Amino acid sequence: MRGFDLNTFGSLPVLEGGRVKPLDAMARNSLLVIRSQQSFRFEGRTIQAEEWLADLMFRTSVADTQPVFVINDPDVLGILGVPQTTNRYFSFQTILPHIETIERQAQAAHAIEAPKRDRFQNAIANLYSRLLLYHRLRNSIQLADSPGLAFELGVSGQPAATNRYEAMAQIAFFRPLPPLPGQNPDAWKNTGEALRAASQGTLHPGLELLGRLGAAYANADPQSFNRAAAELRTQNRINQPEAQKQADSELLFNRAQPFYAGMVIYVLALLVLFASWVWKRELLQPTALAILMAGALIHTAGLVSRVILQGRPPVTNLYSSAVFVGWGAVILGIILERIYRKGFGTAVAAAAGFGSLIVAHHLASDGDTMEMMRAVLDSNFWLATHVVTITIGYSGTFLAGAIAIGYTLRKHIVGESDVETSKALSGMVYGVICFSLLFSFVGTVLGGIWADQSWGRFWGWDPKENGALLIVLWNAIILHARLVGYVRDRGIMVMAIFGNIITSLSWFGVNMLGVGLHSYGFMDKAFWALSGFIASQLVFMLLCWAPQMFWKRKVT
Amino acid sequence: MTQPTKIQQIGARIWAALTSLQLTITCLTLLMALVFLCTLAQVEMGTLGAVNTYMRSWFAWWSPRGSTFQIPVFPGGALVGLVLIANLTAAMIKRFTFSWNKAGLWVIHMGLILLVAGEFVAGALQVDNRMIIREGETVNFLESYRDTELVIRDVSDPAFENVFTIPSSRLAKGGALPLPGSPLAIKVVRFYKNAELSALRPEDHAPLANRGVGASVKVTELPGETAENKMNLPGAIIEPVAGNQSYGVWLISTQLGAPQSFVHEGRTYVMSMRIQRQYLPYSLTLKKFRHDVYPGTEIPKNFSSLVQLQNTNQGDNREVLIYMNQPLRYQGRTFYQSGYEGDTITILQVVWSLRSACSSTLAFPCASRWGGGPHHENHQIHPLAGGSTGSGGDRDPGLTPVQGARLRSEYLW
Repeated sequence: MRGFDLNTFGSLPVLEGGRVKPLDAMARNSLLVIRSQQSFRFEGRTIQAEEWLADLMFRTSVADTQPVFVINDPDVLGILGVPQTTNRYFSFQTILPHIETIERQAQAAHAIEAPKRDRFQNAIANLYSRLLLYHRLRNSIQLADSPGLAFELGVSGQPAATNRYEAMAQIAFFRPLPPLPGQNPDAWKNTGEALRAASQGTLHPGLELLGRLGAAYANADPQSFNRAAAELRTQNRINQPEAQKQADSELLFNRAQPFYAGMVIYVLALLVLFASWVWKRELLQPTALAILMAGALIHTAGLVSRVILQGRPPVTNLYSSAVFVGWGAVILGIILERIYRKGFGTAVAAAAGFGSLIVAHHLASDGDTMEMMRAVLDSNFWLATHVVTITIGYSGTFLAGAIAIGYTLRKHIVGESDVETSKALSGMVYGVICFSLLFSFVGTVLGGIWADQSWGRFWGWDPKENGALLIVLWNAIILHARLVGYVRDRGIMVMAIFGNIITSLSWFGVNMLGVGLHSYGFMDKAFWALSGFIASQLVFMLLCWAPQMFWKRKVT
Repeated sequence: MTQPTKIQQIGARIWAALTSLQLTITCLTLLMALVFLCTLAQVEMGTLGAVNTYMRSWFAWWSPRGSTFQIPVFPGGALVGLVLIANLTAAMIKRFTFSWNKAGLWVIHMGLILLVAGEFVAGALQVDNRMIIREGETVNFLESYRDTELVIRDVSDPAFENVFTIPSSRLAKGGALPLPGSPLAIKVVRFYKNAELSALRPEDHAPLANRGVGASVKVTELPGETAENKMNLPGAIIEPVAGNQSYGVWLISTQLGAPQSFVHEGRTYVMSMRIQRQYLPYSLTLKKFRHDVYPGTEIPKNFSSLVQLQNTNQGDNREVLIYMNQPLRYQGRTFYQSGYEGDTITILQVVWSLRSACSSTLAFPCASRWGGGPHHENHQIHPLAGGSTGSGGDRDPGLTPVQGARLRSEYLW
């Protein structure tokens, strides 16, 4: 962009959120938090996150005019004195005159416990925290009103300068200066800390380079900027080869966007499969499976990359659980397809994979998806056993539900219902439910053992545990109801769809307990999404349950 | 061939019902409903309240608005669990024949029986307490999470303390409670489950208490707390008596900092209300508490407490490092790193359960200690304690059970 090598700039490692990551990832996550998007259009072109960050740190006056704050709440818009129009994005400059009001209102909101805040209080507290993030980023390398790091180094030793260094050390959001050889590997410094050290006689070589980088950017001098960025990279390669390698790998991963690619491929597989039902089945059905497998391969590659990057088992937070649940469902679907060869496995696998990756995509807007593990949860053994087993249980239950929905649609909308296929489908659902019951049960027991080891009780009846128990109970009920003959093919299908509701409730629903209809934060958006999902499943259950006279074609 | 008798017929019918899958499905469905209700109710009642109402009860009760009588409207978790165990066991006896094909089914169903039975035991027998230690402090007692007690200490002897304790649950029943082995008795004038104290203003009614700080304090009774993270602040109006002699009417409460005292026949008795304690035959000294965070963040990376375990009776004197997922197991109790306060105070959760007690070589602790009336113990003033701890002495009142960062029950999402 404008001749600046922002790729190299974005590849520089920084320490933020307790881990080393490329500047690019931090910029993306920050913009995602502030604007809910990783890039935006401004003056006729697309601004990527790292360019926005460079502007924010080195060309503050430009960045402050860019509309990066998304504001939806009518009352917050009222504070800004702007009418409710289609424009929901505002620049820092627009917000600045009202900052005192916002701060006062946010402080009032903070005095109230988060779950008890109303819509406005949530929105204002949220805006304030985004403004704070913006402010901290803006002053991270150099204070926004500073002529630059070269100037700061020049005035080293003056009392006023010392105060400025302190302010910078306090406010900086991230630490761009890696520890020098022989120093504690955690001792990354922000520029304020490095300036302080410099005034005491230890000059970090990166400080001067960062100064040149910033000055070159501000003066629109791409050549100097690119040289400084390249030198910083070279320096890291010598001093912190591991950190630079880690940052490069993560940058590559973020650029590759494997889960986004997977999502697109799954849709493609689904479309090809739909086409196969009306045209050239022999050719298109295997093609759809091949496309699905390609998607699964990319999905797997993405998962494996995350495992390697993080050095953790695949599921470490809600986001990664969504990615993993989808993956599990896709793999199970492929296995079913290999067994039954009806195209049905492909359809539900592609749909489940696509759906869960969409969910993951929305969950990513919280910021860093590879955040550090809190102390209690910091156990790779239990993450690899309990968490993975439980999520595979989720995958299975969802897959069974998806097959049941497919069965319903096929029978009631498309109108195809030969007995053989129906038998095959109910066989699939039965098998998948057995599978997920086993995994949910084992996973729940493992969770109990973990809880016993770290909290002193096997079972505490807390919402999370109850959610897992509900899945186990429901799957057990389905199996026993079939055993005793209460339900046959169609009944099992209805129950399997209800399994979707139970699983979604225990996966997401329990997090929303106590979240009333008043709050409009992220969880609230999720609340409506979840309600919509549950409603749709109820509709499917009704459809499936509907007596024969409502079917498109009667079973013969 | 003889006709089965009537009794045999009825027996067969009961056996058929008990072993039926219909019963299994009914139990599972009821259990699902209970778990669902219990989860929802936690928002209002807190985990403990909801679990006691739905899971650890024989029936879920409902009382019509404005009335006191209760109607059982739904079977409780205990009842459903018991029926489920009976059903599972009976069905296994009737149906299952052993073969390797069915080994998996056997294991799962046996496991289920164990789990449900285990929850009965846990519900009935597990006792949760905690131990709060400041760096450098030695503590030889556990504190309850929410129960309180009245403690009366005879501090006349510099080497010994005669300590009498009465649980608040006993105070709530009222009456006169003689202190065993002493001429004194405590008459309960009034008990407050949860009370707010404020300075007495001229327009207020005269307080019930006529001695000590209570004579100038207004007591307002509050409804009991139900939320998980809040505790009741109980108080009581008591009158110590020796025969016909009264030593005045006093207010005691967990909210009163300084202990109050009276003198009977040359012996000084100090009264206070505190979190209920249970003394141990050993002590822990906190040598170092560590609270590490990931660099540049507030995200906790590790917590650990380095303690010195001392048990003079057993001759144990060793260093133990308690940290996340790595509790100390000792004499039937398990000490978990469960929280902290500031940089120097550790909060250990201490669990006594049948399982850990069985696995330890020692006999049952005196569980009866937790019920009942006044209790008497003799405490040697602990040589290591700086006067404020170790013995029955009152530690600084700054910590209430709700304070301190909790590390329990964290989840990935």
